[in-house]
Amino acid sequence: MKKSTSAIRAKSRRKFAVLVLLSLIFIALYMTVNVRFDHPKLFAYAMNQRSTKVMVMIVVAFAIGAASMVFQSIINNTIVTPCLLGMNSLYSLVHTAVVFFLGSGSVLARNSNLSFLVDLAIMGVVATLTYSCIFKKTKYNVLYVLLIGTVLTSFFSSIQTTLVRAMDPNEYETLLSSLVASFSNINDSILLLAVILMVCVVVALRKEIAVLDVITLGKEQAINLGVDYDRTIRKLLLGVVLLISVATALVGPISFFGLIVANLARQLFKTYRHTELILGSVLIGVVLLTAGQLIVEQVYSYGIPISVFITVGGGLYFLYLLLAQRRRK
Amino acid sequence: MRVKDLRKSYDGKIVVDGVNFEIPKGKVLSLIGPNGAGKSTVMGMISRLIASDSGIVDFEGKELQKWKGRELAKRLAILTQSNNVQMKLTVRELVNFGRFPYSGSHLTREDEEIVSQAISYMELTPMQDQFIDELSGGQRQRAYIAMVIAQDTEYVLLDEPTNNLDIYHATNMMKIVRRLCDELGKTVILVLHEINYAAFYSDYICAFVDGKIAKFGTVDEVITKENLSGIYNVDFEIMKIEGKPLSIYY
Repeated sequence: MKKSTSAIRAKSRRKFAVLVLLSLIFIALYMTVNVRFDHPKLFAYAMNQRSTKVMVMIVVAFAIGAASMVFQSIINNTIVTPCLLGMNSLYSLVHTAVVFFLGSGSVLARNSNLSFLVDLAIMGVVATLTYSCIFKKTKYNVLYVLLIGTVLTSFFSSIQTTLVRAMDPNEYETLLSSLVASFSNINDSILLLAVILMVCVVVALRKEIAVLDVITLGKEQAINLGVDYDRTIRKLLLGVVLLISVATALVGPISFFGLIVANLARQLFKTYRHTELILGSVLIGVVLLTAGQLIVEQVYSYGIPISVFITVGGGLYFLYLLLAQRRRK
Repeated sequence: MRVKDLRKSYDGKIVVDGVNFEIPKGKVLSLIGPNGAGKSTVMGMISRLIASDSGIVDFEGKELQKWKGRELAKRLAILTQSNNVQMKLTVRELVNFGRFPYSGSHLTREDEEIVSQAISYMELTPMQDQFIDELSGGQRQRAYIAMVIAQDTEYVLLDEPTNNLDIYHATNMMKIVRRLCDELGKTVILVLHEINYAAFYSDYICAFVDGKIAKFGTVDEVITKENLSGIYNVDFEIMKIEGKPLSIYY
């Protein structure tokens, strides 16, 4: 078990190199498999389509990976995901409500730019108001965040199910496609907006991310070492919510994915350094998403959405984590 | 450090009720008293972990709450009992955190030097690259003390440092406390349940009953048959061993 720090550093650098290489390989594969190189027009079309999707996957991997890692460290528990914040079910509710009240032919349902903005605005405002307000009221107890998230999730989803029951079956058919995570049909302007938002969040939180290592020592140790704990946690939590909102508004409910990438990164890097952990989970996210999307498109020809893989794989992995944790005790 | 009329209540129940005392510099002060007497709460308030309802904690001429977190972290360190880290952390990495108030996450060569000294002072050098969760309870406690030493503060506050330790490790811990004061010149404030440890290793004792100070003074002034019987509601006998008043209770 005895290893010097420099040896550990060198090892984690090697792991990073492998992850970067893997992501590049899968991105390259995703871009080139089944592309008609002999036909310039088809080639250009495929490149155009696929490069946007690759960008979306990188953006989503970043948002989900970073948000999940930060969220787990705030809650000080490695089997939570930002799913618990209720943004997935709020997204489903907003989309269901739009189709229910305005119809699937309405501008809000058809114009993806507009619906992205509406999603983002609603999720951002609801999350910021609830969590910053409740956080203050409950004297900064992070466990209430989980509790409130769970309550919100069932609140939103029960309204959503009620609406779905009263809905026209044909309308439901069109709705269903938007409730499943998908990397298709995202245009460049939305993507640009998402990137700008994410960069803003990261820049605004750079100081807080730097003290995350200390935060994981526990509240009392963090205060002892001079961290303004309550303020830091509140800002980080808002950052998590915003990142999750961006990712969800972009591709749909996918934050369960975060559980997988964050824990794989923890298993792989076995460190407390969050810059490494966050970068690691982002890279793992890129690898998994590109590989998964490659299989979805090329093997199953879009027959199975990627969220099925995420849910099945994530569920199994979650069970494994629970059992492994129990065995350790 | 001076405490003036400190008060705290939880859900209407008064836990700390008008506490005044001054902490003597460069000495070991133990806070003792029965369960629920408010000693840990007082400890929390003088270490800024718990906000007081009213009253003032005057730390070096400035109210504790008005200090900047980082500046205070260079002068006052607190170690509580709740130290369970979920992360994979080696002893050295933990002690590195002691330098956080000075250098953040990027340690200078001087910081590394101080960390090495703290580790060797706690005799942890052979196991400095082991993970914290693989250590025994006593070793882990010493690793945390090493972190506090690396933090290089004048004041060191320890909340029940002998809790969950066997007699051997608990006695070692108290010897370390004494060395922190005698060799490193620190002001050490402890919350202790074990009266004899307090009597043998402290300079001053502050005894709490029902959120108020029952007795404050040197060990010889506080550890008497009458005082202790009054504080704990149990019969006491006092014996002098190595010039210190040790108590027997039954």
